[in-house]
Amino acid sequence: MQLHYFLLLAAALFCIGIYGLITSRNAVRVLMSIELLLNAVNLNLMAFSNFLDSTLIKGQVFTVFVITVAAAEAAVGLAIVLAIYRNRDTVDMEQFNLLKW
Amino acid sequence: MAQFLLETVWLVPCYALIGGLLAVPWSPGLISKTGPRPAGYVNLIMTFLAFVHAATALQATWNHPPQEVFIPWLSTAGLNLTITLEISSVSVGAIAVVTGLNLLAQIYAIGYMEMDWGWGRFYSLLGLFEAGLCALALCNNLFFSYVILEVLTLGTYLLVGLWFSQPLVVTGARDAFLTKRVGDLFLLMGVLALWPLAGTWNYTELAEWATTAKVDPTAITLVGLALIAGPMGKCAQFPLHLWLDEAMEGPVPSTILRNSVVVASGAWVLIKLQPVLSLSPIISSAMVAIGAVTAIGASLIAIAQIDLKRCQSYSVSAYMGLVFIAVGTQQDEAALLLVLSNAIAAALLVMSIGGIIWNSITQDVTQLGGLWKRRPMSGLAFIVGTLGLIGFPPLGGFWALMELADGLWETHLWLVGVVITVNTLTAVSLTREFALVFGGKAKQMSERSPEVHWPMVLPMMILLGFTLHLPLVLQSLSLLPSWATLNKDVALLLIWSTLFGCSVTGVIYLGNVPKPIRLPWKGLQDLLAYDFYTPKLYRITIIFGVAQLSKLVDMIDRFVVDGIVNMVGLFSLLGGEGLKYSTTGQTQFYAFTVLLGVGILGGFLTWQYWGNVFLNLIF
Repeated sequence: MQLHYFLLLAAALFCIGIYGLITSRNAVRVLMSIELLLNAVNLNLMAFSNFLDSTLIKGQVFTVFVITVAAAEAAVGLAIVLAIYRNRDTVDMEQFNLLKW
Repeated sequence: MAQFLLETVWLVPCYALIGGLLAVPWSPGLISKTGPRPAGYVNLIMTFLAFVHAATALQATWNHPPQEVFIPWLSTAGLNLTITLEISSVSVGAIAVVTGLNLLAQIYAIGYMEMDWGWGRFYSLLGLFEAGLCALALCNNLFFSYVILEVLTLGTYLLVGLWFSQPLVVTGARDAFLTKRVGDLFLLMGVLALWPLAGTWNYTELAEWATTAKVDPTAITLVGLALIAGPMGKCAQFPLHLWLDEAMEGPVPSTILRNSVVVASGAWVLIKLQPVLSLSPIISSAMVAIGAVTAIGASLIAIAQIDLKRCQSYSVSAYMGLVFIAVGTQQDEAALLLVLSNAIAAALLVMSIGGIIWNSITQDVTQLGGLWKRRPMSGLAFIVGTLGLIGFPPLGGFWALMELADGLWETHLWLVGVVITVNTLTAVSLTREFALVFGGKAKQMSERSPEVHWPMVLPMMILLGFTLHLPLVLQSLSLLPSWATLNKDVALLLIWSTLFGCSVTGVIYLGNVPKPIRLPWKGLQDLLAYDFYTPKLYRITIIFGVAQLSKLVDMIDRFVVDGIVNMVGLFSLLGGEGLKYSTTGQTQFYAFTVLLGVGILGGFLTWQYWGNVFLNLIF
């Protein structure tokens, strides 16, 4: 087991998240892709903490914070989606293009 | 007293100028209560003052060496512009003639312009002309001569355009200004190019320089050609002659001045420049050629005109052509004598026909006739003017032509032929005019034609007297050759040509030849009647070229120059209009562009670590 396998896995997960973030038409799937991104970050933090800082494990502390904030962010995100849904009766991201040129 | 007047003779142009300025307030817009007549009287007084001053000074200057007066004008680094005035018997004589003729023309105008409101403008312009001509006569500096010539060109524009509500007046004034301006601009080129060669614009110093000048013949030829181009336009020489024809649209009193003095202003400069012009034989030949062509062409045209004033204007062109010949063959005195005799005789002729036009309304000679019985004074004036112009002894024109032909006798025999031809043709044209206007039966337009009133007859008679006395004046000033040294052949030729022209024309026009007279070949008659189709020639050459070039330049300006600048604006506009669509309103697109930016920047910054490996992997 080596550090860079973890990093590559995290990067792959990040890329999948990006792909989902950019291409999803459903707003909830966009939030889910964001969760993938955060989890990819968490994987990185955990890997670094394990391989480079195994005594003080500051990465794990960071991860705990990231999970916490991610939960809060998802809550707010879902609330926003719900608010938009109430007004526009849809969660299609392509319908939310009112603020253009 | 006379000496004092001589020393202050430079005041003469000032009187005229003041007279002109004093006439301005009686323009209808300023003083309308009194009517315009005081403008004329005020001007007349100033002109009279100028004439008396000039005449007294002329007596004082006789047999005295010329003096020079220097008035500093402007001094900058490397250039001192000083107005040089020459006070000699010739120049003071010239201003006496100018002011005298102006005085007569202004008295004449009081009669002629009786039914006109525009005295303020008319008399102020006459004052301007008088001042300009006197200043030109006194000025001994080429540069300031040029300045005055330009002022006079502007004056011609305004004076010809006096009655600007007539469309032909507007085009005539335009042509008079532009044609003379073209000549003047060439003259300016010559004047400027002469400075580095001679280092002076003073005529006297130029003459001294010309005696010992060693200059490149090509350079001096070009300069000289430019210098004669100005007088060419001023003197209405071919091919810059159309303006004088069209300037006949102006009022008659100003025509008196134009025919007698204004066209002579070019000749005056030409005579003054004669030492410089004789530096190159090509210039002299050019002058002789222009003069000969104009003299013969214009006198032929004069025969074929039906407009009384235009007959006169072409005779003036012809006589100025003779002056060109005289200067081209280095005969200054003959040229001056020609200018003098032409000025007086031409003024008398124009006064006579002006009186005819004034109360016969028409200017068409074919509609006039039989005026001799009713208008003996005008008729006599016309006869004396004619005889004073052509070679008829003992009047002035004979002596002038005589001196010119005599000088040409040994060297340029063919030019004597030209002089004789011009004399014959002018005799023919003037006799034809006389026969048509005064002879024959009265026609509808001249059925009831009374003699004009005194303000027009008086100057006519005074000038008639002066024309008759001119030989005596010349003799008392010992300007005439004695009978002993007279070239009898030339004299006989001149007299015979005059008699031949007058008698043949008299017989044709007063005899029983059917009128209107037709030449066997109609094309030739039309060619002369339409003065060689000069307007058409102008239109298809210079005017066409300039117009096309102007249109081309206008298009280039409009489409290319403006287009390039507008294109910048247009591209900015289109750029904004097009690029705004990058703001799609899609949050996911924004996220994509952010990531793309980060990716590219990251790739760029880390290129050094993986770039080469990457390239090796691909290639």
